[in-house]
Amino acid sequence: MTTLLDSPMNVVDALRGDRATRPSVDRSSAAGLRASLEDGLFEVLGTARPTSPIVVRSASLRLSPRTAELTSSAHGRLRGVLVNHVLRLWSVGTTIENAFDDALSAWRATDDESIRLVDTMDIDERARLATDVAAHGVTLTRSLGPMPGRWMPRSSVRANQSLAGGHVLLRDVVDLMIGTDDRDVASIVLFDLTTAPLGEGVERAMRYHALVQTLRTSAVPLRTSAFSTATGELWVRDVDHEMLRRSVGEVLACVADQWGRR
Amino acid sequence: MTTLAHRRLASGQIDRLVAEAPDRPARLTDDHRRSLSARFRAVATPGHRRLDAWNVEQAGRAANGFHWSPAIARRALGNGALRRPSSPGTSITDAVRDEVAEQLLRAAAGYARNGSMASWLASSPDPVVGLVTAEAVNWATQLSEITADLRSTWTMAPSDAYYDVATARVTLRARRDLVIARDGERVIVRVRSGAPGKSAGPGLRADLTTETLAHPAGIAPVRFIGLWPEAGVCLAVDGSMDDLRAGARDLVRTAVAQRRRGLPIAA
Repeated sequence: MTTLLDSPMNVVDALRGDRATRPSVDRSSAAGLRASLEDGLFEVLGTARPTSPIVVRSASLRLSPRTAELTSSAHGRLRGVLVNHVLRLWSVGTTIENAFDDALSAWRATDDESIRLVDTMDIDERARLATDVAAHGVTLTRSLGPMPGRWMPRSSVRANQSLAGGHVLLRDVVDLMIGTDDRDVASIVLFDLTTAPLGEGVERAMRYHALVQTLRTSAVPLRTSAFSTATGELWVRDVDHEMLRRSVGEVLACVADQWGRR
Repeated sequence: MTTLAHRRLASGQIDRLVAEAPDRPARLTDDHRRSLSARFRAVATPGHRRLDAWNVEQAGRAANGFHWSPAIARRALGNGALRRPSSPGTSITDAVRDEVAEQLLRAAAGYARNGSMASWLASSPDPVVGLVTAEAVNWATQLSEITADLRSTWTMAPSDAYYDVATARVTLRARRDLVIARDGERVIVRVRSGAPGKSAGPGLRADLTTETLAHPAGIAPVRFIGLWPEAGVCLAVDGSMDDLRAGARDLVRTAVAQRRRGLPIAA
């Protein structure tokens, strides 16, 4: 685990790490992980057919029943969406002049109707949100550093995995992905952005991103990471089989929990 | 009997689908074209109609009014970026930026009509252009990873396939992103977002039929492959006469369903 707090090294450099020590890409683990998930899901669901699919997202794993995270408030969610748009603009080299206005302008171009929550805010709330986004945006852009195009950065990368005959859906959005899976050496790095301090839930989300990416591409990524714009802290973990197996267990527990509440 | 292969999108999978494709594709003759035209003419509509795989998958349900968005613009820009001649050291992000700049230039030079992507981009603030660039980079990178895995000879499709059904006021459109050459025949690959639904097979056959109709000699691709990289799966249908017939039937049924719903016709 790497923690980068007030370090002279920027986040992108930390994510890429040393090229010489990268392992060969593992293209054989995905089938076994999928089989474990299917077996585990059969133990949870049996022959039952849920009327609507059970959906697992990274947010489902991030939240623990005992902890209320800063991101779970409406203000926190809006801040998260806006800071994510700042990341998307930054990843393609767009100059950010005003983090809040630019992010809001970009968000408005999407078909997301939740932007109305911002439009209906009173002046004080909106000003508070704008200040918050500006502060988080500064932390983000200062820490990330420039992102060379040859590292193939792409943002908000979606994944959908259907399991148990379509009764369980794993959905995921990786905030930033760099590297490519078309080489023999592992180079994909997954980056999760949060506006809350890093905690246990974020670790589960990091593992979940790695698992879903492995299932989607049949290739195990090199690293998974999380960065907090609240604290400037970065966690980086190399992905290994044990991490993926652990995430399988967490997904099964999440499905069992959701199924038990139905 | 129609064909539909379902595979996980693992390394080398597209090459395997290309290698396993049948040797001889079907061919649509003038009689087939005349017959299709007669069937569409029987479904009278007051205006011009455009049908594609999405309409087939939605069983003729209306789409919301069209407007440009980053998610819609990404495919045209991403594919355009990959079609550009690349020089050493040029990244995908650079190619997408060049493509966006060309669109903006077209608008500034007065060559873009109202409602086109170029005029929308030109009237959008910088952050929106940035978000469009980010979406197009995602699309182009995804496609570039797919092509990097291919051993077969491939080219970017120059455009989607369009076919005007004679005297029926119907235009058919098929999405196509890659054209793979195999022994003088072709395999078409199209890429979609999200995950395939239950009607993905009929949608793929509709695209196969339109692609074949748009071919000057009516020769079908030996295989039509649909990729859903977000879901990590691919579907494929063969260029057989049964699949072409099924695709044509679904397109006509969609036109009938649209007429029954009394939908406004999209031009």
